[in-house]
Amino acid sequence: MGSGRIRNNIRRLRFDHGEMTQEELAARAGCTRQTIIALEQGKYVPSIELAFRIARVFGVNVEEVFQYEE
Amino acid sequence: MAPMQKSAWWGLGTGLAFAIAFTLVFILKGGIATFYADQNFRIIIDSLWIGGLLANLVIVNLALRAGRVDERDKLILDRAPRIQWLAVVFTLVAWTVSLTEVYHDTGLVPAVFLYVIFMSVLVVSTLAQCLGILIGYWRMDRNG
Repeated sequence: MGSGRIRNNIRRLRFDHGEMTQEELAARAGCTRQTIIALEQGKYVPSIELAFRIARVFGVNVEEVFQYEE
Repeated sequence: MAPMQKSAWWGLGTGLAFAIAFTLVFILKGGIATFYADQNFRIIIDSLWIGGLLANLVIVNLALRAGRVDERDKLILDRAPRIQWLAVVFTLVAWTVSLTEVYHDTGLVPAVFLYVIFMSVLVVSTLAQCLGILIGYWRMDRNG
């Protein structure tokens, strides 16, 4: 299996979208605020479905939110 | 704190309070010998453990419904039975070894212990599920 790491730009994207709160992102993406916190801290890798839902909230492609680094 | 984490703390708290109350009543009323002989005592103990488990179930479910549960919570919930399984196995091992040693000479274990073992396994299983959930959050917050 890969030894890569999934990074994300959620914090920056929230800032770019009118300083969207973690609570608001969580409500719109259908998860809890604690999951958004864990994602931003790099302590949780979301399912593909949640990754797409988060990308859709920001109106960008999923690759602009999540990046895979070898 | 995630809603499910809160409910696990509630479950652990009420479960522990119930387990302590149960053990105290059992010991203060005379233990196994009285339990076997006194029907009123059996009714008190039955009410305590059935009531306690139902209360625990209701409290945990109410707390779960009050807040959202997402995929991360479900992942943690799915991993909790590992701790539950270990706790149940260790409880059964403890009962088996202790009863074998205590009743080794007679070669007969009183049938009432079947009931006590069953009750203790149910209580341990309920507590271990809550503990497993809390350990799951702690590990995920620590290691990701």
